This record gives sequence, C-alpha cells and structure tokens, in this order.
Amino acid sequence: MSKGGRHTYAAISVLAAGALVLTGCSEGGSKGGGDDKKQQENAERQQSAIKFGDAAASKGPAAEVPGAKSGGTISVLARDSYAHLDPAQIYVQDEMSVSQLLHRGLTGYKATSNDGSKHEVVGDLATDSGTTTDGGKTWKFTLKDGIKFQDGSAITSADVRHTFERQFAAFINQGPPYIQQWLADTPGTDYRKLLPDGPFKGKHLPDSTLETPDEKTVLFKFKNPHPDLPYALAMTGYAVVSQKGDTKEKYDKAPVVTGPYKIQEFKSGKSMVLVKNENWDPATDPLRHQYVDRFNITFNQQYEDSTKALLADSGTDRTGVSFSNQVDAGNLSKVLNDPKMKSRTVSGFQPYVGQVNINMSHAEMKDLKVRQAIAYALPVTPFVRAYGGTDAMEVAGGIISPTVSGYDPSFDPYGKKKKPAGDPAKAKKLLEEAGKTGLKLTFGYINTPEGQQYSTAMAAGLEKAGFDVQRQEIPAETFYDQVSKLDNNYDIFHTAWGADWPSASTVIPPLYDGRVIAEGAQNYSQVNDPKVNSEIDRINKITDPVKAAAEWETLDKYLLTKVVNVVPTAYYKQVQIAGSKIGGLVYDDIIAGVDARRLFVK
Amino acid sequence: MLRFLVRRSLGAVIILFLLSIVAFLLFFGMPRDPALLMCGKTCTPANLENLHRVLGLDKPIPEQYWIFLTNLVSGSDDFAQGPCPAPCFGYSYHSNEQVWGTLMDRLPTTVSLTLGGAVCFLVVGLGTGLIAAWKRGTLVDKTFTAGAMVISSMQIYFLGPLALAILVYQTHVFDKPAYNPFTENPGAWFTGLIIPWVVLSTIFASQYTRMSRSSMIEQLQEEHVRTARAKGMSRRYVFFRYAWRGSLIPIVTIFGIDLGSLLGGAIITEYTFGLPGLGRLAVESVFFSDLPLLLGVMLFSATMILLCNIVVDATYAFIDPRVRLA
Repeated sequence: MSKGGRHTYAAISVLAAGALVLTGCSEGGSKGGGDDKKQQENAERQQSAIKFGDAAASKGPAAEVPGAKSGGTISVLARDSYAHLDPAQIYVQDEMSVSQLLHRGLTGYKATSNDGSKHEVVGDLATDSGTTTDGGKTWKFTLKDGIKFQDGSAITSADVRHTFERQFAAFINQGPPYIQQWLADTPGTDYRKLLPDGPFKGKHLPDSTLETPDEKTVLFKFKNPHPDLPYALAMTGYAVVSQKGDTKEKYDKAPVVTGPYKIQEFKSGKSMVLVKNENWDPATDPLRHQYVDRFNITFNQQYEDSTKALLADSGTDRTGVSFSNQVDAGNLSKVLNDPKMKSRTVSGFQPYVGQVNINMSHAEMKDLKVRQAIAYALPVTPFVRAYGGTDAMEVAGGIISPTVSGYDPSFDPYGKKKKPAGDPAKAKKLLEEAGKTGLKLTFGYINTPEGQQYSTAMAAGLEKAGFDVQRQEIPAETFYDQVSKLDNNYDIFHTAWGADWPSASTVIPPLYDGRVIAEGAQNYSQVNDPKVNSEIDRINKITDPVKAAAEWETLDKYLLTKVVNVVPTAYYKQVQIAGSKIGGLVYDDIIAGVDARRLFVK
Repeated sequence: MLRFLVRRSLGAVIILFLLSIVAFLLFFGMPRDPALLMCGKTCTPANLENLHRVLGLDKPIPEQYWIFLTNLVSGSDDFAQGPCPAPCFGYSYHSNEQVWGTLMDRLPTTVSLTLGGAVCFLVVGLGTGLIAAWKRGTLVDKTFTAGAMVISSMQIYFLGPLALAILVYQTHVFDKPAYNPFTENPGAWFTGLIIPWVVLSTIFASQYTRMSRSSMIEQLQEEHVRTARAKGMSRRYVFFRYAWRGSLIPIVTIFGIDLGSLLGGAIITEYTFGLPGLGRLAVESVFFSDLPLLLGVMLFSATMILLCNIVVDATYAFIDPRVRLA
C-alpha cells in the first residue's frame, strides 16, 4: 500500500505525520539505549521467516496469556470511526485491528511467543493453513467442526463460497483484490467480468475455479500458482460472510460476526460497544481470547487526546487502551524517558518503508554511476528528523521492512545506518567518473510541512556531491497521481510503501516489475530489469514461504546494488500506551498495533 | 410581519439554492477525486471507472445536480443502500450512511454545545458588560475591559487543551468532555459538556462584554435617557428600563450570527474536545471528499444561519418600537 495520498488510510497517515512535525521534535528525540535494543529485537524477530502452520498448530484454544483474568470492561480510544464493518470492504489498519475481535477467516496469524514477537500462518476457520499438491495452483481447505456465526448458525463451505463470490459484485469496492484476480486470472478489475453481479442473481463461480464439494471442503483452483494464498486469506478482507445473513450494502453496518465479540451498539462517528459472542467456541480458535466482558470504543480521540488521557491514568482510562492511536510526537520523549510511563508502552514497526525513487525513464538517470552517486549522496537524516526523530523512524538499509519475512538488518549497501547524513565525497567521485558533475536533478517533493523540510535538506546534501537540484513542489492531494504518471518530469521523488502481508511478494512485484509499468501504476521508478522480472516469476512460484523469503531478500540486494532505482530512507515506527490496569499488552507487527485479542483487565 | 417573514424565507431559499450550485461546482473544481480516495491499492482506470459509476460521478455535472435537487425535494428509491426519503442528500461516500440521518444524529451534540455555551456566554458577557458600564471609569470597569481584551485574543485551541490539562488530566476535577444524550442521563450530559461550555463561553463572552458595555454607555448618553434622569427617575430604573433595552439591538444582531454559526458546527471546539457534532462532520466531509455529506452539512449550516438571521430581524420589532412602527 502506498502511503501519502492516494488512499483514505494514507491520507489519514499524512495528517498524523503532519502532527509529528507540528510539535517540532528534534532529531534525537528520546533515543534511549534500551529503546534501541528493543527495536532491534523487534527487527531481529522478523528475520525468522514466517511458516505455514499445520493442523496441530491450527487447533484451539489459543495458549493462555500469562496472568490473564476474565471479566471487566476495557475503554478503547480511537481516532477515526469505522467506515466499514463488512469484512470485504476493510483495507485500513484501524478497521483491520478491531476486526481481529469480530471476524474470522480461513487462515490467520498466530503469535507463537507471548511477547507477540513471532508468528506463523495457521488455519483459523480451516483445520490448517491450506494444502497444495501442485505448486500453489490448487488449494484445499477443510472447515473445523463447531464453528458458528453469532446467530448460532453453522459456518459451512456455502458461506465461504458466498464470501468469495460476493467480492465480484460492484458494491464491494474497498477491499483487497488479490484472490479475485487470481481466481479470474487477470490483473486490474477485469476480474469482475467473471461474475458481474456476484452471487446475488443466482449465478456462481464455476467449479473449475472455486469448488465446494461438501459442507466442509473448499477448493481454490487457480490457472497459475499462488503460493501466497494462506497469507492472502488471513487478510480481514477475506473473512467469512454469512450467506443467509448477507444484507449487501447494509451488511457494512451490521455484519454477522464470527469472532469472540459481537457488536452490541454502533453509533457511527461516536462510539461502539462490543460484548461477548456466546456462539464463539474457544476450542475452535487458535488465535483469540475472550477475557474481557466488554469493549467500549469512543471515536474522535486525536493522538494527543488519547495519549494525555492514558498518561493521566484515572477513571475508566486506567482500563483504557487504543488499538491504533500512537503516542503523539509532543509526548513521545516524555513518555519514553519516564520509566514508569514507559512501562505502559509498547512499540514496533509499521509496514511502511520510505524510499527515494529515481526515475529510470529519464535519459540522464539511465547511467548507473549517476544513480549510485544519488544513493551515496542522499542524506536520510532530514527525513528521519522531519517525522519526529528516531522514535518515529529508523534508518533503512533495504527495501524489505523489518515486518516482512526475510528482512536482513545487516544489509546496508550505501552505509546509511552508519552515515545517515550521506557520503558526498564518494558520490562526487562517482559523478566525476560519469562526467556528469553539475547534473540537473529535478526533485519532486510532497507539499506538506515534512516534505518541505526534508526535501530542502536532501537537496542540499545532493548539491554537496555536485548535483544541481531543482525542487518542485507537488500538492499532497495529487502527489501519487503526479509521480505515477509515465511522462512526469521528476528525476527523483520520495514515496512509501507497505506490504499487504509479511512477504516481499507484495512489495517487489508491484513496485519493481517492469511489466507492470503503466499510467498510474506503482512502479514509480519505471524500472524494467530483465533479471528482476524473471526472478519475480521464479520466486512467485516457490511454495515454501521460508525459501521464498530468502529469495526475495536476495532480489532486494540485487535491486539495490546492481539496479539502484531507489534509495531506501526509513522504516516507519510507532509507540502506543495503555492504562495501568491493562494486561496482555503487546504490539503486533502483523496488525501494526496493539493486539486486542490478548487484552485483559488486571 | 407575516409578509416580512415570507419575503425573508423566500430570499433564504434562493440563497440556499445558489449556495448549493456554488458548492457543487467547487467540489468538482477540487483536485481530489473521491473515487480515487476509495480506489484501493491496485487502482486501475477500470477500477476507477467502476467507482465513478457506483458513486454516480460518471454523469455530467448538471445531471448530477438535477438528481441531487430532485432527491432533496422528493426523496429517492434509487440508492443501492436503501430508500432515501426527503429531504434526501443521498448516502455518504465514505460511511455509506444516509446523510440526513447522520446530520440528525450529530445535531443534538451541536445543539447541546451551542445552547449551553450560549447561555454561559450571554450571562457572563452581558453581566460583566453591564457592570462595567454601570461602574464606568472605575477599577472594576478597567478590569473587566482589560480582561475581555486579553481573553478575546486567545483561541479555543489554546484554552481548550489548557483546560483539559489542568481540570481533567492533572487535577481530575472534571471528567473528559463527552456527549451523553440529555434524555438518557441529564447528569452525564451536563458534566460531559461543562468544560466545552466554559471554554466556548470564555472566548465568546469577551466580545459580549465589550459590546454590551459600549452599547450601554452609548445608550446612557441618548437624549431620552437623559430626559428620564432629569425627570427624577432613579439611575437603576433608567439603566435597566430605558438604556438596557436599547443597548440590546446590536447584541441581538451579533448573537443571531453567533448562534447560527455555532448551530452550523463549532468546528474547532468539537475537534478540541472530541465531540461528534456537525462541525466535526464538516471537516470529515472535506477530508474524505464526500460530496453528499459536504452538501448536507453546508446547506444545513447555511439554513441555521439564515434562520437565525430571520429570527433576529423579527426580534428587532419586539425590542425596538421604532422598527415595529416603521
């Protein structure tokens, strides 16, 4: 997912990021040694590649959270109201976060350690994470016994079929498109032609695509291998929808849920109350708990409000938490420098990786030495500083984030971790060797306070190496539209991208596959390297997720050392805080926020 | 009077009509495409086209406007989300909820905030203004006048967080501001809104202090007031019976405008205190390029302002006999 303008969630993120700068955090922030250690641990845990769990790993109930107690009410402070509750329409983090309590899919991410540091993909409603015998073309899932919707009706393969067929209807237009595209074997939105009205006019997907031979079995049949299906199925967008209870557009406000909690009351824009779902059976669920009696969610709480309320730790805020709100930048140093306050925080990485794209369609940028000179000269300190310092950003080495399977923390081809201010001397030499000293570089920057701040300092750093940098502002609202135009005049510009699931298959192919260069597409650098293209095809066929992760990391290294179409800048981070009576508080990298499923009242 | 009200009401309808056209055109002049905001990660021209069709944005702008007008007047059953009775602003692009329903849902918060705040700032503002005028030239007058000057230079986004920090987070004197319906829990309604009322009234009261003071002083210098005093009437009687009534005219004018604006949505106050009112809705509608919601909030707010202005004009007649006679 791109960050910074195109999507609703991205737009929200921009506002949030704006808040960081308004508070004027210095570069250093609260750079506690312990904090860095924790972040490093956080990063290192992602090196252990995520596995696809078997039937034993998929069995419920979930392992008890140490010290957990049942009962009580948790107050949840949220910034934005939930625009969507129909799982098929959910693609933004805060809605995905609350969905962990409400919706269940065929697969899910199971934390395999009590600090939420390790994960594996397991069967959620399915007995395992799926089996394939033909390299990922055909996948078989078997539903567990005893799984029910909140109304007590059993979840059957007919519901699963309905879940996927309704994704083809026009009114489902907000969620992820992956599995629909795989089923229809077509990119873009042409997949809708396979079942234009979804299942609502009596038509169904052919058995050659999606087969449900009995009440328990679901078979996905793709024309091409899709080894990532277990990952994709774990997205909230593919959680199961009740065939009987499907009210189409109205389902978005009152879904029939399958998780441990159900919606007692939802006042859009104001509040939501979740209570226990009596028809959820913990024995079927390896991922979730039902410790708390009730979640009272209040919307309209800005980051500063939720931070202050939770810091004050009085009244209902003692049992208060926010699933997604970060500690605001103004309070970040204060919180992290006070051991008592810090003990109530959790932190981790967001999925986003910042990167300066080099526009490979421009003649001057086709020279590798020029691109290497940019990579060496570019200072990343201004970017980190603009967004609030090292508590909010960590200098990046590669384009694979710490939240993605296969991440290598030692990879740092341009020495940014040691020299975040850049290496102008080395860059100058490269530029001289290329005979391009004084080369004009057009730097398109997003016209936000942060964009203005970091682009000025980055331009100064590049000029030290001998570039003649011309900054050109791009309005924030249309930034991604401008830079994704094939015929744009920007030589370099900064974008950010987050993986949809913890595999680089949702990073490298959309961003760097030369065959997807198109007007408005996400290959912003317009890079078209034959080896990258063929490697994408090869790795996409690897069914073992651990092997695939290692191969993606190798391709990351090839891209950054041999192709050099981007210069990574930073991995986005966040810190969250809770009241003193909240137990089981863990930051989950997959959720990119607090794991609501483990929470209890002390 | 009836003729006056009919004439003003017709004028208001014309203004609202023109405003809706301007809002419509401005929306399409914006650089953002609401469909693009919703288009998702792998947005393609085909996906965008589908969204334009779903949102009805594929039709020519005049046709879209005509559909909007007819829906507003007679309602519509054409929405996929369900029937939309008049006044139908359609369904929100972002939340898929009926706009009129959302407006009515948010209205009680704004009305509670406005009326409570208005009572506070009227009582405080008029009270201090009258005392300052009564004690003109004394230390009390100077204190009130200077205090009003200082406070009027402050902003809600400064006073609001300050009040929250001191009264809620540090001393725990009050609960966090929240809107609880009066019908469900009058006590919680009152305690939840007391800080926003105080902050709102602090900001607003200062201008009423200054205005009521100067207006009162002006009235006290009027010939009819001087005559009344010369006739031997007491200062207190003349002050309240003759001068005060006359001094209310400019105050009623400004109060009408303030009330209308606040009923249309106290954007900063609602944002500062996290209250889900119309002001917050206005911001959300712009943020999400949500045309139906934007038009709904804008026309509703404009209606509030126009209605308040009509009421103010009508009130003049009761306050000032000269207007009635004219």
